[in-house]
Amino acid sequence: MGDQNTPLTEADARQMIRRCGFGIPAKDSKKFRVEELAQLTRGEAADLFVDFKPKGFKPKSSEARAAHDKWVKYMFKRKKNLALQEKIVLFLHDHFATNFTDLDARIDSEKTSVRVLAEQNRTLRKNCLGSFKDLVKLINVDVAMMWFLDTVFNKKFEPNENYGRELLELFTLGVKDLNGSENYLQEDVIQVSRAFSGWVDDAFKAGKSFLDPFEHDTTAEFPGRGDKEIFGVTHPTQGHQVGGFVSPQSFIVGGEAENEIDEVVEIIFQHTDTDGENTVARHLTFKLLEYFCYEGPDKATVDAIIASSGFTTTWELKALLREIFVHDIFFETGAAPGASTKKSVRWPIDYVLGTLRALRVQPKGKELQLQGGNFNDVVELLQDMGQVVLEPPSVFGWDWEQAWISSVGLLARYEFVRDVTTSRDSKPFQPEKLIDITLTTAADIVDAVTDQLGVTDQLTAAQRQALIDFVLAGESEPLDLFDVDFREEKLHGLYALVLQSPAVVLY
Amino acid sequence: MAITRRQFLKRSGVVAAGSALGPGLFGNPFVRTALSETIGDRYLIVLLLDGGNDGLNTVTPVDNQGGTLRTDYEGWRNTGGGGIRLLPGELAATGIDPDPNTGANLALHPGFIGSGAGAGGLKTLYDLGNVAVVQGCGYPEANLSHAVSSGIWETGDPLGLGIGYGNTGWVGRYLADPSTAYSGTDIPAVNISSSVAPEYRQTGTSVIAVNQLRRFGFPFDKQNDNGTQIQEYEDAFLAIHAEASASAQPSIALAGDAGSATFSASQSYPGLHNLYNTDRAAFEALYPNSSTGKDLKEIAKIIYGVETSQPNIDARHFWLRNGGYDTHSNEGGATGDHANLHNEVASAIKVFWDDITDMGAEDKVCILIWSEFSRRIQQNASGTDHGSQGPMFLIGGKVDGGVYGNHPNIDPAAVDNKPNTIYSQDPIDPFRSTDFRDVYGTVLKHWLNMPGGVILPNVLTLDTGFPVNTYWTTADFDLPLFLP
Repeated sequence: MGDQNTPLTEADARQMIRRCGFGIPAKDSKKFRVEELAQLTRGEAADLFVDFKPKGFKPKSSEARAAHDKWVKYMFKRKKNLALQEKIVLFLHDHFATNFTDLDARIDSEKTSVRVLAEQNRTLRKNCLGSFKDLVKLINVDVAMMWFLDTVFNKKFEPNENYGRELLELFTLGVKDLNGSENYLQEDVIQVSRAFSGWVDDAFKAGKSFLDPFEHDTTAEFPGRGDKEIFGVTHPTQGHQVGGFVSPQSFIVGGEAENEIDEVVEIIFQHTDTDGENTVARHLTFKLLEYFCYEGPDKATVDAIIASSGFTTTWELKALLREIFVHDIFFETGAAPGASTKKSVRWPIDYVLGTLRALRVQPKGKELQLQGGNFNDVVELLQDMGQVVLEPPSVFGWDWEQAWISSVGLLARYEFVRDVTTSRDSKPFQPEKLIDITLTTAADIVDAVTDQLGVTDQLTAAQRQALIDFVLAGESEPLDLFDVDFREEKLHGLYALVLQSPAVVLY
Repeated sequence: MAITRRQFLKRSGVVAAGSALGPGLFGNPFVRTALSETIGDRYLIVLLLDGGNDGLNTVTPVDNQGGTLRTDYEGWRNTGGGGIRLLPGELAATGIDPDPNTGANLALHPGFIGSGAGAGGLKTLYDLGNVAVVQGCGYPEANLSHAVSSGIWETGDPLGLGIGYGNTGWVGRYLADPSTAYSGTDIPAVNISSSVAPEYRQTGTSVIAVNQLRRFGFPFDKQNDNGTQIQEYEDAFLAIHAEASASAQPSIALAGDAGSATFSASQSYPGLHNLYNTDRAAFEALYPNSSTGKDLKEIAKIIYGVETSQPNIDARHFWLRNGGYDTHSNEGGATGDHANLHNEVASAIKVFWDDITDMGAEDKVCILIWSEFSRRIQQNASGTDHGSQGPMFLIGGKVDGGVYGNHPNIDPAAVDNKPNTIYSQDPIDPFRSTDFRDVYGTVLKHWLNMPGGVILPNVLTLDTGFPVNTYWTTADFDLPLFLP
């Protein structure tokens, strides 16, 4: 069992860089290089990573593509711990998933849709290390979200449950707790939705929202809808008390006005599950562990990280992330592949940008066009891989893990690798600048390539042998990497094989 | 190629995928025999009308007869100026059999008559006795969320009773069940999509997702091939993935399997494109240039490959979707958005059917059409919001055509407060609904020859049913939808 005082190994350092950013960049500032990080303890390294000042987001124009490209560019360019910011914001974008296409269909203006989506992205950025509870409150009145999940259509005579449901189902509690018991009832959705009735987008103040009191549902006007209170009711079939409260919680203690939606959040954040543990903390921590580590972390680990971070008191994401980064679970997937080594599938954007960063290839222009051949638009390939940022498929966000490796998705990854390892112009792929080309044996060349990509320990002996066989086929040692034909045939091919292998597709 | 904004929007709504496992073992005669014994020489095509298809403007009452369906329909749907009501005159050419309950005459939406090379559309196929319309399919307490309701249909598990189903779909569980004899190295299913559809998700065998067969080739570096490089590359690629497949760690094995299966399919499937275009040029030219037209053409290419015994091609199960059914506004009536969608689907299916019939495979194919929900029975300003149960279609040479199931009760006194129709399994209710799982189960049992005792509970799970819970049926999977 390691803890924050455990020294990092080089493998641990690689794991930190991989997981806290997009691949291991061929170059980074000194403090963030593998050999430097390996001088630190887990705690020191974690502190180094989470200690950044969040950067904003300004798309170049009001076109959706410009906003998309800008964010991809940030992810591509960010070095040091700022890559971690992009990785956290990407998580939050998936968690509070809002997509441009649906937004545009509702707002019917590309310009406005992009503007409010960019504003939402800035909110995620500003708060990516701060209080998760505050962030949820901000998302409540986020204009993009209000359009995306129909808050703007939630009126006292025509209630709309869309946002209220997702607030409980996706953003905070989850449908069921870690024991499979339901966290809330339909009645809770209805009551929560009442709090949001009348909230609208301010047409005069861009990006602002306010409560229109004439459209707000009040208990005086609708006595038949019952008291504005949630939870504390015994589940009709499961027999447990929903939320662990002794009695239903009223969210109009401060009167029936704007404060209702904040009060709802305050109550939700006190909700406890059938183990008596805080439901929001567990829900979010579980998901973060799936994101930074692997699918299905165990309950004990989730609870330990919540406890040591003080998350249920401060709700501070920075502290929670720091505790994840010093825990054993964070380093598990970095171990050499074995029967007990869980792995997770790299997100397409991580795979693509990580590859470009590791190979020091700089695609050109908005479309990330690789130069020097008839290559695919990288963004088109990302679409086939199933991930375009600002376009998560629905409020449920992207489908992770095995969903990423459908045959179409994999072929798009393979195609991308083929393109990038054969690109020649501009800032092309030049493996002769990445490894020592005086090497003359196939084994040395294979090791140099896998070292450069940081995955030597991710290949089994048989896989390493398959790579050696590939390099040696039809050749004899000593090999000559100064020979351009040999290099383009074998060294480029070797890189492609490693990049297409599970050693890189997974992490 | 530069990407236009339109493409960007269209292509990025991609929902992600499922699993793909292992290279083909079709050379193994045992596997081949086992396959054909289980499903016979048959194909299943699942078509999703994505977004919630308006059932009331898909199968529409033309008159009242023994009930009040037409009167009720006219009460809910307006005419003119955003009105979406279909008039009896507009329904005259697409009449089908009457509603079994009220005796009301029914008609398909006039869009189903198709156009162009697909003229006649579903109406022609209905008249040939190849279309079963199953009315009122759904489940209790209809969920109005696209995602949740789609999930219910895709898993085939409305109550979440299927313990251990995990993130799998009903077709996926069928494919993965030991009784079907598909091994982890077979490729029995192809989805025409960027990703494996949720109802095909599983672990245990392979489902591949293909947009265009033509583009499905493995991206070798042909530029640097000196004559042997590609073979050497292939050897190394397969060795690396086979090693991963052998891992005891499921997440690693899955990546190995997925890579191998993708590689293997990328070697055998792309060739079908040229084969079909050469051999069946006359039909190739007939397909409409619509999403459904293009996707059905890809399926026709694969079926042609199977029918002509191309090596390593034995996919029997397909999936495709047509989007755009979320008609909250501008739905239209006999013309307009919804009519265009119906026309597109009907025309494409008609051409596909002519193609398949010409191949002599019409008795081997069954198309199942579903949507995550129907729409609000009362229209809004110019469209309809989310609703509850709606019609399903089965199309095939061995389908016993006709109208099955009762039209949902749209009497204002019988609907809920939204207003949506109420799902009912009360045996004395003359409007009794159809459990969508009964249709799935019937297809599995009577088309794919899966024993009922295996379907339940391996593929579908049912609750205890009436009278314990008046909502539910103990579906018997014996709907008379197929000819012997």
